[in-house]
Amino acid sequence: MLVMRSVPSAPLVGPFADRLLALDFPALDPARRAQAIEFTLRRVDGLPSVMRFGVTVIAAIFRGLLAVPGGDAVVRFLARTPQPLLGEYVRMVRSLGYAYIYETWPDTRADGSCPVAQEDVPA
Amino acid sequence: MSGIEPHQIHLGAQVLVVGSGAGGATTAALLAEAGFDVLIVEEGPWVDQDTVTAFSLEQMDRQYRSGGVTVALGLPSIAYTEGRCAGGGTEVNSGLYFRPPLDVVERWRRDFRIDGLDVDELDVIADEVEQAINVTTVPGNATPASEILRRGAAALNWRHSEIPRWMKYPAGGDAVTGKRQSMTRTYLPRAFAAGARMLVDTRVDRLVSNGLNVTAHVTYGDGTGRTPGGAITAAHVFVCGGAIQTPALLQRSGMRSHIGRSLAVHPTVKLSAKFADEVNVPDDVPVHQVKEFAPDLSFGGSASHSGLVALALTDEWKTFAPAIEDWRRMTIYYAAITSEGRGWVQAIPKVRDPLVTYRLSHRDREVLRSGLARLALLTLEAGATEVYPSFRGAPVVRGRGDLATMQERFAASKASVMTVHLCSTVPLGEHRDRCGADSFGKVHGADRVWVNDASLLPTAPGVNPQATVMAFAIRNARHFIEEQSLRQPHTNRGRT
Repeated sequence: MLVMRSVPSAPLVGPFADRLLALDFPALDPARRAQAIEFTLRRVDGLPSVMRFGVTVIAAIFRGLLAVPGGDAVVRFLARTPQPLLGEYVRMVRSLGYAYIYETWPDTRADGSCPVAQEDVPA
Repeated sequence: MSGIEPHQIHLGAQVLVVGSGAGGATTAALLAEAGFDVLIVEEGPWVDQDTVTAFSLEQMDRQYRSGGVTVALGLPSIAYTEGRCAGGGTEVNSGLYFRPPLDVVERWRRDFRIDGLDVDELDVIADEVEQAINVTTVPGNATPASEILRRGAAALNWRHSEIPRWMKYPAGGDAVTGKRQSMTRTYLPRAFAAGARMLVDTRVDRLVSNGLNVTAHVTYGDGTGRTPGGAITAAHVFVCGGAIQTPALLQRSGMRSHIGRSLAVHPTVKLSAKFADEVNVPDDVPVHQVKEFAPDLSFGGSASHSGLVALALTDEWKTFAPAIEDWRRMTIYYAAITSEGRGWVQAIPKVRDPLVTYRLSHRDREVLRSGLARLALLTLEAGATEVYPSFRGAPVVRGRGDLATMQERFAASKASVMTVHLCSTVPLGEHRDRCGADSFGKVHGADRVWVNDASLLPTAPGVNPQATVMAFAIRNARHFIEEQSLRQPHTNRGRT
């Protein structure tokens, strides 16, 4: 059976996920943010074919916006203001990141800071 | 686990069972015990229950399809989950047991013209299932999260009860020490003991029938298409991959008449409720449910570990974020409805996974709205200090006075709607304008191919469907055995 060729999600989804989690959790340790992004990318890579295709298209739009002058502000707006369709992508990335952060480090505060010492961060 | 076969290029069996969940495992056990040479094919891995934490992200990685990120597209889209492991959904669900609702079964018999469907026979089979999977109530007190449902319903004088589970509890154990009596602990070992074999990590891509037998073309490993393939030849095939994968496989195999056109689910909306004390039980679910408005609307509790609480708050994070720091005092509840909407499952040529869509009716949306408000009221009556509904723009509900605002702001399109009960994509019966399979699960117009899983249920039953799926699967398997006995009364049915 032929399979829809898949584009690795990291270059398209990774920068947006990084920006989103940095906005939502300004005090989250960057190493933890990187782990949460890695988890998000793994899940995106495992999405069912049709969903994966849709996410890839929307992720490409967001990636393009991040690359142009002023695009960052647009992405910030989209991250904070739910929009039809595009908002579903934001919601998915946010949901995956949040689930990972709070399952892995349950005592993370709302701003991303954590009472656990830095040396306790899993490698 | 004995019974697991190595991957091979060519394999044969008298009966091939595709899928090993509530339908597949029971089918395999009954046929093997009747003397048939049975081979079970499971797309996912074998995972021993003790090696994974229930409701964790790790479990989702190992035992769910696509890590649990699967969606029926629509407005709103509905997130759903499918087990993808030996034992299927029985390994990952809440283990709550509901007898087949006999009034619903009787309606199915009439409306879908299901021949030979005897509600009394189904009731007797249910007794048998309850023995086999050890249906029981929790020893001692229920968890605090469960007690909240009981207390809130009692305060409102709403009908409620403890739902038994297929669990075994150790002597002296409490509510959270049970071992789920899933298919890997019950019917699959029975099937192996009777000689059945099983392939895991094996995906059936399509079925080809030549009139005498059916060949299943399979891929091994992770199923990305780059792994080796093989072929399994069988005299009969039972497709038991669940309400999404079963119609997709049939469609890929050229069977399309009334296949995948009537997906039915129980859509749910949820909220997180905060209490004065620590009520969160991270790796278990409440056993009480509220049925005052059933079958249209039911209330229950969800798994509520910290990650899931965060997930439940994301829709309105800018307002709800501070609550996450109190997750130990919070737990998640849901309102589930019996939906009038319907969905589609459509296999797309050269694409691995099917397209799944679902459309809620206007009535569904209104029942979700009123259901969430009633659920919020129930948690307030049980002592919640703050309630966080899971939809964009939701207010924090601190008292009855906030419920009107919450209802006003709610729209299903803004909510995180999800479901875990999927059925009805190959409804059984003789009503040829509606049914994809005959009264005992044989696919209409197909040769030697049966369906025996949740796909057969003509509509969503209004309760957790696992027991109903098992009862129908056992009934249909017994009919098959009888039918084959009449055709080949003097053979040992192919066992070598």
